[in-house]
Amino acid sequence: MGIDISHLRRRFGQFTALDDVSLSIADGEFVALLGPSGSGKTSLLRILAGLDLPDAGSILRDGEDLLALDARRRGVGLVFQHYALFPHMTVAQNVAFGLRVRPWRLRPRASAIKASVEELLRRVELDHLSTRYPAQLSGGQRQRVALARALAIQPRLLLLDEPFGALDAQVRVTLRRWLREFHRSLGITTLFVTHDQDEALEMADRVVVMNQGRIEQIGTPEQIYRHPATPFASRFIARGQPIPGEVEHGTLRVLDRVWAVGGFAEDQITSITVHVRPEDIFPTQAHREGLAARVLNVRHVAGTVRASLAMAGLEEPLEAEWNEREWHRHPVAVGDVIDVHIQSLTVFGSDADGRVVARKEFQPPHGAAPVTLGPWRRVEA
Amino acid sequence: MGGDTLMAAISAIVSIGVRPSWSASVVRVVLVSAALMVLAWLLVLPLAAIFAEAFRQGWSFYLDAISQPDSMAAVRLTLTVAAIAVPLNLVFGLAAAWAMTHFTFPGKSLLGALIDLPFSVSPVVAGMMLILVYGKDGWLGSWFEAHDVQVIFALPGLVLATVFVTLPFVARELIPLMQAQGSEQEEAALTLGASGWRIFFHVTLPRVRWALLYGVLLCNARAMGEFGAVYVVSGHLPGLTNTLPLQVDQLYQENFSAAFAVASLLALLTLLTLGLKRLLEWRHGEARNGH
Repeated sequence: MGIDISHLRRRFGQFTALDDVSLSIADGEFVALLGPSGSGKTSLLRILAGLDLPDAGSILRDGEDLLALDARRRGVGLVFQHYALFPHMTVAQNVAFGLRVRPWRLRPRASAIKASVEELLRRVELDHLSTRYPAQLSGGQRQRVALARALAIQPRLLLLDEPFGALDAQVRVTLRRWLREFHRSLGITTLFVTHDQDEALEMADRVVVMNQGRIEQIGTPEQIYRHPATPFASRFIARGQPIPGEVEHGTLRVLDRVWAVGGFAEDQITSITVHVRPEDIFPTQAHREGLAARVLNVRHVAGTVRASLAMAGLEEPLEAEWNEREWHRHPVAVGDVIDVHIQSLTVFGSDADGRVVARKEFQPPHGAAPVTLGPWRRVEA
Repeated sequence: MGGDTLMAAISAIVSIGVRPSWSASVVRVVLVSAALMVLAWLLVLPLAAIFAEAFRQGWSFYLDAISQPDSMAAVRLTLTVAAIAVPLNLVFGLAAAWAMTHFTFPGKSLLGALIDLPFSVSPVVAGMMLILVYGKDGWLGSWFEAHDVQVIFALPGLVLATVFVTLPFVARELIPLMQAQGSEQEEAALTLGASGWRIFFHVTLPRVRWALLYGVLLCNARAMGEFGAVYVVSGHLPGLTNTLPLQVDQLYQENFSAAFAVASLLALLTLLTLGLKRLLEWRHGEARNGH
């Protein structure tokens, strides 16, 4: 049950907005569509709302063809990024709109409309502002009016387009928490679009990572953070930083370290990409075993310490991140030359077309002890 | 003008918002009074002259001149033509603006250019085109004649000419506004279950109503004052196909003072429209600021 999106395609001229997108959403789930601008997430949202049609593919809701219903009859609530409130109507009139415009046979009585508008405004904590006009509200209040207006039609699917995009940072954090709780109390299947990793990871049950019209990975925030499926997901969500590495003649060479590898199935895989996360780079006391790094700068950011490290064989400095306590144990300062140990690496194997077909996280051992670089986790997008 | 004045002018422009210096305030006074003098010379004085000329031979002559049956018929005809042409252009302007801003279709830029055509084509040429198409030997004229409908030298011709000339006013007023507003609110209304008509009347129309009224008033002022195109298709039958401007023209050849009396009537109608427009702008400003 729920929503089944399969093999959706949409092109605008030369631009491919959606390229074979398939996704299932369970009833009551809170799902984030995460990706940079132009990744196709808003196109998918508009198609779900009925404001656009795909060139190919299907969308089923509980087995019923959603694409056969036009936007009017789809029962999908959509909250626009800039709210799209009706400026000439009061807050209450805005919220009542979806009920008032029903054909007369389905339209509730005026008193029933009034009651449900009051109830909705109470839920979004705006009942004291019902006679105001949108221009008289703050950004966060407008957003909640838009939410109440979309909920008035009792949608079976709620879509939010960049719900916090137009708000300042302080309001954003408060509203995030509020919306999470609100969804829990409501239980409506909700899909929201965002380009903000923190937002997606903090709020969603599941995150769908999109890039260039394709789904790169679907998973819980923890899964995606711990086990990114592609270099894109790794860079975008786990802050993975590429470092040069290659596998040849049974050895894995990363920076100036060489490990003998076993279990490396070379079929299909023609090249590898190696990523390291900032929190996996540690200063070490054991000299000669670590990699030499020069500290370019140190920043203290609310409980964490971030440093840029220049290392031999790297064009770009690596970003490292420790919490304050760790840093106090091994304080480093600008200009220091330190030894660092990389605790965890993610290796992606790509085929001749550049498609990621396999990946493996591994803990590089100290010294040149042999490692097993398999079994690989198959990647399915 | 010396270099000092030029420098003062530049500093006046640069110092907008800053406390004006003495030379900057001199420049301001000079510029404002120059503009007022030009306006007085070119607009206020001639307009006053029309009313002065109209009343030169006294009230009774004035009333007599404008209550001539031919003059009254001209007033009626002008109002009739405007009453038909303006609503037609209101509907067309709305439809064109909607199409231009909400849809992409082949020939969209051509439509945009065509809407502007009446601005660039001389009204006389517009009248000639109508004669070519609807005249006795025109492409459609013979068909209309066979069905006993007279277009040229009759009301339909006058309406067609007026519609053509005033076509751009409403559309040009609406298109930039609708473009700026985008279609998000219409889309929101659609997802909330509203029908096309309801979206139009409850979402789109309220948002453009001031621009629409403004366009309609401009359109109306032009429709009542149109001379060139109407001149060609009218036939100048006093009491039958003479609109107010044509009646003024005809009287001007025969009875100088009466011409000015009728002209003052036309000027009055136009001033009324302008006054209404001003009032709307003022009210609109109130609405926008106070909400």
